[in-house]
Parts: sequence; structure tokens; C-alpha cells
Amino acid sequence: MKNCKLSYLCLSLGLAVFIVACGTQNEHLSKGKELIKSDKRRKEERAVREFKLAVQQQPDIAEAHYLLGFYDSQEFYEPGMPAWEKASIVERGNHMFRAYQAEQRKYLETLIFETLRDDELDVQNAALVALQQVYRKGDRNRLLSQLEKAMKSNDNRDRHDAHWVLGHLGKEDPGTLVPILVKLLDHGRMETRLNAVKALGEVGSEQAIPALAALIESGSARWKRDREKPEVRQLAVAALGKIGGAAVPELVKIVQNKGSSLRVDAIRALSNLGDEKAVVPLLDALKAQSSREVVMPLAN
Amino acid sequence: MLKTFAPRNPNAYFRRLILPLYFLALVFAFGCDNRYDDERMQMEVQQLDSDLENRWSTSGVVVLATTPNGPADKADLEVGELISYVIAEYPIRNAGDFNSAMKKAIDEDNNLVLHIKDKPPLRIAVRRLGDKVGLKVEGSGTVRVEEIEPGTPAANLDIEVGDVIEKVVDERKIYSLADYKKTLGDFSKLQVTFRTSELIGVKIAAVTALGELGDMRAVEPLMDIFTNSSELSLRKAAVSSLERLVELSALNELFQQFQAADVNQLPADSLQIQPLESAAILGLLTFDLAENTATLKAPFGTQFRHRAEALHQKINEGQLVELAQRFIQLEVEPEQEIRRACLSMLGVLKPTSAIDALVAVLKNSAEVPGIRFQAGLALSQIGEPAVDALITAFEGADPSTKDIAVSALGGIGSTKARNLLIHALESAAEPAIQLTLVDAIAKIGDARSMEALERQRARFQEDDTGIRIFLDEVFKNLQPESM
Repeated sequence: MKNCKLSYLCLSLGLAVFIVACGTQNEHLSKGKELIKSDKRRKEERAVREFKLAVQQQPDIAEAHYLLGFYDSQEFYEPGMPAWEKASIVERGNHMFRAYQAEQRKYLETLIFETLRDDELDVQNAALVALQQVYRKGDRNRLLSQLEKAMKSNDNRDRHDAHWVLGHLGKEDPGTLVPILVKLLDHGRMETRLNAVKALGEVGSEQAIPALAALIESGSARWKRDREKPEVRQLAVAALGKIGGAAVPELVKIVQNKGSSLRVDAIRALSNLGDEKAVVPLLDALKAQSSREVVMPLAN
Repeated sequence: MLKTFAPRNPNAYFRRLILPLYFLALVFAFGCDNRYDDERMQMEVQQLDSDLENRWSTSGVVVLATTPNGPADKADLEVGELISYVIAEYPIRNAGDFNSAMKKAIDEDNNLVLHIKDKPPLRIAVRRLGDKVGLKVEGSGTVRVEEIEPGTPAANLDIEVGDVIEKVVDERKIYSLADYKKTLGDFSKLQVTFRTSELIGVKIAAVTALGELGDMRAVEPLMDIFTNSSELSLRKAAVSSLERLVELSALNELFQQFQAADVNQLPADSLQIQPLESAAILGLLTFDLAENTATLKAPFGTQFRHRAEALHQKINEGQLVELAQRFIQLEVEPEQEIRRACLSMLGVLKPTSAIDALVAVLKNSAEVPGIRFQAGLALSQIGEPAVDALITAFEGADPSTKDIAVSALGGIGSTKARNLLIHALESAAEPAIQLTLVDAIAKIGDARSMEALERQRARFQEDDTGIRIFLDEVFKNLQPESM
């Protein structure tokens, strides 16, 4: 009898869980997802409608928020209408952020390793907005460690996406991001260093100048193991060019280093910056000897 | 130094150890992989990075430093020079000298230069290591060719039995630091010549950047390179930089308006539209007529306003005009692109002193048509002062010169030019020149011009010629404006 009661209890509990679960797997959400999978006409537009209903019903439903951010598009609406405004990149990013808030671990990874990889530029930009929100309001440390992981990944797409996000975050908060990126300059994988250099260029902060300069100078190091690869050094010169201003003296130094293979890159960067400090070193470069024959004195 | 190693005290044993350590250190210091202290020349050289090699197909070692009064310094070798060949001469006094010189040169490089008395130097290359050159020589003091083997490289050259061989020159291309070290070792007892290569890529980049920067200090050095360099690519870069500086200098008035107000933005309607447009094309500013703003672009536009005046003065000192005037001539400058750039500069600078030289280009039937038209364009940019010269050119000339002169006069459009064109149209017989005249007069487009065109239309009413169709076209295009 007691056993029977217990099984009843179990059964009713199970039923309750089942009903609640059914409720969680929101009807509109499932419908929207099915639409996406189908080959119906304007399936995205119709799915978005369902996702909107889903988040209306359950404002904390992570997946619906994420999919809404992913699939909504201003192309579905008349410009200027409220729905059009709500389909902006920022609003889409906010939906993705809401998804993150509801299920942090899952959506942080999704955003970094999947969403950023999407072919659509708008989706990538929305993911960037979401990650910027995470940086401001979410688990910043976890975000940064995931981005670092992506920078060290052996998949080029991960590294590329991560450098892009890090560059944008760095513009907001160079104090935190520059040291992280500089540390990545020592990573064993050349492509990781390459992307760190690119991100430092995007950040455009003067704080990065010494590290970039050291990396460039390593080209004339005595030992091969101390020399950074030419590709990376070349990008470092371009990064100095993006930083501009305080980086001009470093670029001038490269132009003056006769043994450097990056003089042309430095000259190009200087010409884009328009700084008059470049004029004299450039005139000096013109004074270099033309091709000639030099007779050396006889050996004693 | 050796004294140190005399075993005079208890530390002698330890001191003996110093010697190998010292050599070890020496090996480390000199044996490192991209620099080398050349004791003979007393200088330090560094290997070029591999990426640089690929970039300009240059190779060699760069002089990093020279010791004052050392051999390198005395020979005026400069820091930064790229040594890409090391050359040595083997004096030939007997057959043995010749054979060993031959063997050395061929073994190392498959390449040597033979100096024969009263003949130009002969370059000999063999295909494979161990291949024979095919020469036998004899004699002592004076070394003569004794025999030439058929089917060898020597047989294909201008060498005869009995030729006197003076010397053998061994030229070695330097690809790496190791090459350099080895070659200098091989040549340790010989007179050595370095052939250096100009890093032309760096100079071209610098020349181009100086054009971008718009600084007056660049004008003279650029003119110097343009006039004196033997590298065509560098001269081309220099002239196009000068062209840009001239264009920039022509915007001085516009930039002075910003400078006077000490601002980077002005209402667009307070400025002339034409300079605004050229400044926008040159990337110095953006303007928006609807918003009525003209904004200097950072970083260059905002900085250039401080340099504009000085550049303008420098450009207009006169030397540049003189130079351009000289290099528009086909006889002086074979490179078309350079002549074009010089004409374009004269068009911007509008010197009346250049009128005759420009007319000469316009009339030169040996010149390419595009360049002749460019000369006509420059004359029309000079404007009124060029009208008389253009009329003279028009009068006694062949059809193609007439054509260009008419276009130029149409571009000037002054009363005098217009009257000449109308008169010419009324007496012209060749259809080709008639078309150009109609086009030029239509471009002027004032009341007198239009009347003249109406008269022509009446004259050709019945014809079914190109000129009538063209006139109809002209009037049709005018319709929308009059409505």
C-alpha cells in the first residue's frame, strides 16, 4: 500500500514535471524553430513572429531571445516603423545578451564560437553588441578567458573572430585589454600572435607601442630564435600606423634602420599619418648611395 | 696578449683554460647567424631579411657600422649600403695563374669575366660545375691564347688564338652572410671591389610619401632626383610626387581661408566650388552642399593647412616651371608618362613663360596625340595670354594641330578666341575641323556663339552630313535648359 502511494506520488510528480517542461518548451518557440527548419516561403520572417510571441509569453526564455536576435532583420519591416527600429543591430544584440543572462555558460560559448562565425555581417555585429554587453554587465573574466581560448584555437575562424571582438573591447577599455593582447604576443602559435598584433592595431592605444616596437626590432636580433616572423612584424608596423601620434617616432626609427626589411611598410604608414616629423627621415632615406662599385684597399 | 698565458703563478692552470674559452666566445660573437664583424674591412655587416630579398629581388649584406679610418671607412663605404657582389681580379702572369684563376672562378660561381687586350670584357658562363671553358694559354709575362676547343663556351665568344689575356675577374653574387664570409676568405690576398645595390624600393616609397605629405622641404630633393637619377622608376615616382605637390600648392588660397579663421570647418558657400572639388579629390577634405559644410580631413587635411603657404611659395619660385618646361620636350624626355606629368604641372602653374614651349609640343607631329592634347589643355588653362600663340598655331598648320588649337581656344572661350573660332567655322571646308569648331563654339555657348551656330545650321539644312547631325545634337542638348 505504502509502495502504491509512493508510485502514485512519483507518477504525479513526473506528470507535473512533464507539464512544466512542456510549458518551458514554449509552443511559439517550437513553431518558430520548425519554421526555420522548413523550406517555407519567408520562413525567417514568420519564425521571428513566433519568437516574439514566445518572449512575450516568457520574458526569460533564453533560446527564443537568442533566435530572435539571430533571425530578426530590418528587411522584414517598413523603415521607421517600431518593429523596424526593434530589428536594429543593437536591439538584436540585446536579445542575444538576454539569452546570455538567462543561460550564461551556454550562450557565451555559442556567441563566441558559433554566432561570430555566421556568414551574415549583421549577425556578427549583433553578436559583437551582445559580447560588449557581457563585458560591461556580465561575467567579464569568463568572457575574456573564452576569447583568449579562441585566440589560441587551432581554427583560424576562431582566432579571427576573437581578435575582432578583442579589438572592439580594447577600444572601450584599453587598460585591461592591451596587457592581455600583449601577453598573447608570446604565444607559440604564429597565427595567434598575428591576430593579437592586428587587435592591438584596432585598439589603437599608445600603451601597445613598446611591445609592438620590441617585436619589430626583434627582426635584427642576433639569433634566429629571437626573431619574430616577417609577416607578424609587418603587421606590427601597420598596427603602429593605426595607433598614429605617439607611434610616429617608432615608425621613424624603422625607416632609419638600414638593415630593416620593414622600411617600406613604415614609410607607407607615415605617409598615411601625414605627420611632418616624417619629412626629415624620409629626405635622409633619399640620400642613400645609388648602386656603385667601391674599390677596397688591398689587404696588408 | 700571450703574456697572460705564461705559467708564472698558481693560477696558471686556470689561465690556460681562458684561451679556449676566449675562442669559444669569439666563435659565438662572430658565428652568430645574422651579423659578422669583418676584421679585414673593419666593419660590421648584417644579412638582409629574407622577406626583403623576395620583395625587390635584391640580396646581399648591409653595412651596419664601419670603424673610423678602417679600410671600409677610407673607401667611403657608407652605413646602410647593400653589398650584393664581391669582385676580385686575378692578375695573369703565366699559364698557371690563368688555369688556377679559371678553376677558382668557375668552381664558385660558374661565372667569370675575361679581360683581353684591345677587346671589351667577355663574360663567360658555364652550365655545370666542372664544365670546361675551352681555352688553352701559353707564355710567361705575356699570356696568349694557344688553343680554343670547339663546342665549348669559349668557342662561341670573340676570342682568337694569339689574343693577350690581361686578367680574369671573378664576380660573386652574395646571397647570404655565409657567402660573404667565404668569398672574402677566398679573396683574402686579392684586391676586392664591392658592388652595391641601391634599395630602390625604399627610395620610391620615400619619394611617394613625400608627395603625400605636402611639405615644402621635399620640393628640391624631388627635383634633384627627377633630374639626376638614372633609375626610371624612381624618376617617375619623383615626378608624380611633384605633380601632387603642385596640385596641393594650387589649393593654398582655399587653405588660407581655413587658416585665417583657424578652424577645420567652414560653411561650404563661403568657399569656391572648384578648389573644394579638387581638394576633395586629393583627399584633403569633405564637403556637403546640403549641410553647407566643408570639413578638413584628419590627419592630413588638418595638418596641411599649416604647410600650404610655405609649399605654395616654394613651388612658385620658378625652378619647377623651368624644369617642367624642359622635360615636356620629346627630344629631352623619352618617357611619355613624365612628359605628361610635366604638362599637367604647367597647366596648374599657368606660367606665361611656358607658352612657346607648350605650343611647340602642340605642333610637334612626332609627338603622340594624347600628349599634344595635354599641351593644348595646359595652354587653355593658361587662358587669355595664350590666345595669340594659339591663333598663330592654328593659322599655318596641319589639320591635327588645328584640331588641338581649336579645342584649346574653345577651352579659353575669351572674346578674341570666340571670334577667331566663329570666323574659322564660316570659312572652314574640311568636315573634321568643322566638327571640332562647332564643339568648341558650343562649349563657349554665349549669345554670339549660338547665333553663329544657328547660321551654320541654316547653311547645312539641306545636307545630310555629319556636321548637320552634330549641330542638331548640339541644339537638342540645349533644349532642356531653355525650357
